[in-house]
Amino acid sequence: MIKESNRIQLLTLLLVFYYVILSWILHRNGFEHTESLFYSEKLKILFEFKENTLLTIGTTFPSSVFIASIILSPFGYVFAPIAASIIFVAILFYFVVFDISESKLAFKPVLISIILLFVLHPQFVYAAISGRNIAAIMLFLYMLFRSLFLYYRTQTTYYLSLASIFLTILVFTEINFIWMILSFFPFIALVSVDGIKVSKDEPPIFQYYQALNIRSLRRKLANRTVSLYLILFLLPLAAYYLFRLLNEAHAGNATYFLSSQYANWRVTGTAPLNTILELTKGKNVAKQTQLIFQVFTIVLAPTFILSLVLFKGKLYELFTLLVPIFFFSIILINAKFYFTTEYYMVMQIIGIAGLLFFGYNKYGQKITTGLIIGASCISILGGIYYFSESNDYEEHDLYMMFNSDKKWFGPKQDTELQQMAEYVASVASPETPLLIDDAAAYGIMAHLPSLQGLILPLQKSFVTVIENPALVASYMCIAKRNNRLHNTTVLNAYNILEMKERLGLKPIRVFETENWIVYSIR
Amino acid sequence: MPVCALNNMINVGLFTTGKLEQIEEIAAEFEYINIKTALNFGFLTRKEYVAFLERAGFPLIDVRNQEIDETFVAQCDLLHLNSFLYLPLKEDNKGVLIVAAADPLDEKLLGFLEIKFDKKVSLVAASDLDITWMINKLRGEYYVKEAVFSLMRKDPMSSGIITFTDAQLIAIFGFIGVFFLFLTLYFINAFIFFNLFFSCFFLFAIVFKLYIALKGSRYELHQAVTKEEVRAVVNSTLPVYTILLPVYKEDKLIRKLIWNLRSLDYPRGKLDVKLLIEEDDDKTLNAVRNLDFPANFETIVVPYHLPKTKPKACNYGLFFCKGKYLTIYDAEDVPDSDQLKKVVCLFRKLPKDYIVLQGALNYFNKNENLLTRMFTLEYSYWFDYMLPGLQSLDVPIPLGGTSNHFKLDKLLELGGWDPFNVTEDADLGVRVFEKRYKVGVVNSTTFEEANNEPFNWIRQRSRWIKGYMQTTLVHMRNPARLVQKIGWKGFFGFNFFVGLTPITFLIYPVLLSFFVIYLIFDLKVARVLFPDWVLYISIFNFVAGNTLMIYVNMLAVFKRRYYELILFALFNPLYWLMHSISAYKGLWQLVYNPFYWEKTNHGLTKMSHSAAAASAVNANGA
Repeated sequence: MIKESNRIQLLTLLLVFYYVILSWILHRNGFEHTESLFYSEKLKILFEFKENTLLTIGTTFPSSVFIASIILSPFGYVFAPIAASIIFVAILFYFVVFDISESKLAFKPVLISIILLFVLHPQFVYAAISGRNIAAIMLFLYMLFRSLFLYYRTQTTYYLSLASIFLTILVFTEINFIWMILSFFPFIALVSVDGIKVSKDEPPIFQYYQALNIRSLRRKLANRTVSLYLILFLLPLAAYYLFRLLNEAHAGNATYFLSSQYANWRVTGTAPLNTILELTKGKNVAKQTQLIFQVFTIVLAPTFILSLVLFKGKLYELFTLLVPIFFFSIILINAKFYFTTEYYMVMQIIGIAGLLFFGYNKYGQKITTGLIIGASCISILGGIYYFSESNDYEEHDLYMMFNSDKKWFGPKQDTELQQMAEYVASVASPETPLLIDDAAAYGIMAHLPSLQGLILPLQKSFVTVIENPALVASYMCIAKRNNRLHNTTVLNAYNILEMKERLGLKPIRVFETENWIVYSIR
Repeated sequence: MPVCALNNMINVGLFTTGKLEQIEEIAAEFEYINIKTALNFGFLTRKEYVAFLERAGFPLIDVRNQEIDETFVAQCDLLHLNSFLYLPLKEDNKGVLIVAAADPLDEKLLGFLEIKFDKKVSLVAASDLDITWMINKLRGEYYVKEAVFSLMRKDPMSSGIITFTDAQLIAIFGFIGVFFLFLTLYFINAFIFFNLFFSCFFLFAIVFKLYIALKGSRYELHQAVTKEEVRAVVNSTLPVYTILLPVYKEDKLIRKLIWNLRSLDYPRGKLDVKLLIEEDDDKTLNAVRNLDFPANFETIVVPYHLPKTKPKACNYGLFFCKGKYLTIYDAEDVPDSDQLKKVVCLFRKLPKDYIVLQGALNYFNKNENLLTRMFTLEYSYWFDYMLPGLQSLDVPIPLGGTSNHFKLDKLLELGGWDPFNVTEDADLGVRVFEKRYKVGVVNSTTFEEANNEPFNWIRQRSRWIKGYMQTTLVHMRNPARLVQKIGWKGFFGFNFFVGLTPITFLIYPVLLSFFVIYLIFDLKVARVLFPDWVLYISIFNFVAGNTLMIYVNMLAVFKRRYYELILFALFNPLYWLMHSISAYKGLWQLVYNPFYWEKTNHGLTKMSHSAAAASAVNANGA
């Protein structure tokens, strides 16, 4: 007999195998995400470049994906971020299945629903194979809410501390989640009454009435509320300010890790809303406004709706489930970027957590099980709908790849970046150095076999070289005008014209792709 | 039926037959004479008794200033003298042996002495406390020497009489030599290396503490013994329980002590309470003598012998103990009333290899000032989170100074406390583990008085830190042997919690100074010593370390709902500086005066436990 824990481990291992095969197929058919390539390039610099290592690792946004990628770098710099996201999703799967086994729900049917979600839901699969931070966000979001629910159940500080640790990692996976702290505020005030000696049989509102109208209880309530805030939020906030301090000391800019294109993929990777509106065809962006976005994400995540329908428990636990609605309201106030998959997964993940902890025995096991399987299937359809209407270039590209008549097992297709990297590798050498700016060209650099013969912004000489490249460099890699990253790098089509005029540079076009050109300048 | 003073008191209406019956029952169990039982188990005040004796024609003689023929005392054993409270003085002109006795009317004692000395005996009245003082002084030499040297003789490797072994001295000076050699030859690189090494070590030590505290926080609501289990205990099945109360010049606390003992929910006749007083501590002895109400403890006078430490006094007290279990309290301690019953229940539930149970310690005067608040936070996280965490990891637990409950026979097997170690409790925790026994944690609290005065606090803390250093030196004399005895997990656990704690405090101000000098002065030389990556790691370690330590302190408020203290955790870096001062003082004393016991003054608080409890109840709204 296989033990239940071993069975869960075996299932997790099969899922890892499934994701690895899938990512291999997609990769050889030309799918790779720029965020994943960004991490790959940073790994490459970290391990192969001796100058300014601190600036690479020290001030690069310490995302959990990047840190996990460092550990997984023996699997290859390009595969390491993908391996990291596969592992994050696998760990999430393990915990979800473990929690099913501990819950009062029927194990097998609910397990089948969860397997359906992890194997077929496009957003789950995308999270695992894209090498983005989505997988880490999903995992730590689940762990955060799981810890909070366990805290409500056991009232031990252990789970509160765990929640704080997971919130810290979540914030350091995607900085926007720091606003989740604000959305927790009202519920913590509500939860704090639980530790005060008031009539527990009364509804929470009367407990509050009692606590606020007795002086000693009021003081206790205030102290407990502050304590809960501190124990939950001290770690993420302290970690954030520590990193600001480190960036101030080393980059001369406290927000370097957030605002520099060399440190954070989001600076160049996320598309501003106006660009999205001009260039893409999807309809999701239109739904990214107050209230509509919340409703839309809920509609795409029937598991969340179901967890509310099946909910049985206390009021503040129900309110905790609603935290993401407040969170979205806060981040939508000043939304400048298109919200990609990770934001749509928030409801899905919290829905699963709510379902496992509070969705039991309201309508009997059979009806509940049927509802869960139904919700999972509708979720999958919602995921497909999301991708079909996505305004994100890369999400849309992936959708188109699946919708095309592609021969999945035909000859391997090199991407534009791979082709460019191949050429750069063939010409760049210490004798014929090539000037390249990884603010935009990180995708090319990630595919290079070695960094020898490159002149990079990390080098102290870069600023001097850029003033008169022909003195030192033999080649320059330039982002073309139609390149989305054209404006994020100094080595772009505009500057080459400027150099021609100012320095009398006579560049010769030696290799060109849709978005990139290599010039010979000597 | 033999006659004693109590029968005479009944005859004149000063005592009751019912009480005498109870006394006889207890006296039979403890093998004491009746008057000792009456005076030490709360039946009779000394003042009433003395007044009776004087009225009955037995004025007290001052045995401490009497001429004594020691040949008679030499024939008596201390334990017998103590049980029967008599002291042979000398023969008078008629050849009658004059014996001072606490009960000069005790016919049984008289008969016994006449047979023993084979001569006519005349009993004269003397204060039981003076007799105790004299008999311990005259006949306690063997016992006190045993108390001091027994462990050294039985288990020399565990005795702290030698502070540094030759090998340790070579290792320490070797390290210092290498340190300075590298600093001399390669100043910048060596400085960078040592700075990084210590700063990483600092962070690692704190992360480890956080890990243990989190482990411990899982057991926050765990009740090792429930109230129902305590209620189900049948008093008649309870064993005799010994409580040792080592005191020194604590005259102001004696009344409080009696009230605290009275509040214990344990049958009076099964409590064997020993007040251990030093020979030169007349203040405390007189405070006991002048009590207006019956005492519920027996006074033992510890004869003068160096080192003058609490463990020596406790070891001496062990010779007089009658209990199956034993615990130690300080004079100002207020244990939970059901603590002893909980311990008995838990010992009955646990496997036999559990020989010590540590109760939680906390403070009743927590809101007195900043220092008491910080101290409360520290004790709360230590006893409520760290100890359960350590227990769950199965690594040696450094016992707390009081409220540790032992199986007496096992304690004797271990050789008692090390009188040369000033944190004998932490040392004993390791020795328990070495002998493959276990330490458990009982869900009961003893409230103590938090040190509210900074210099007094530093004195106390310097002793604790010195003791941790001593304990480390003793057990790390042969690291391979220690690993063999307690395993790798225990070895690392011990070194992290006992060995490296003083080092953390010693290096903290050094790291802080480097950091402050760099930030404030921005000197060129500092930039050479702090290249970018070193500064990066240093800032990270230092800020992260302090934040995590503050966080660990904040965790402490939850179990006891001391929410009002949480913001005071922010002062932890300052509190650590006080630890550092104490650590340097302790280090100095370790070299120059290793066995010196820094006395902590108690009774400085203006708050009483009852007042604190009342305010807590009020705050809870109960």
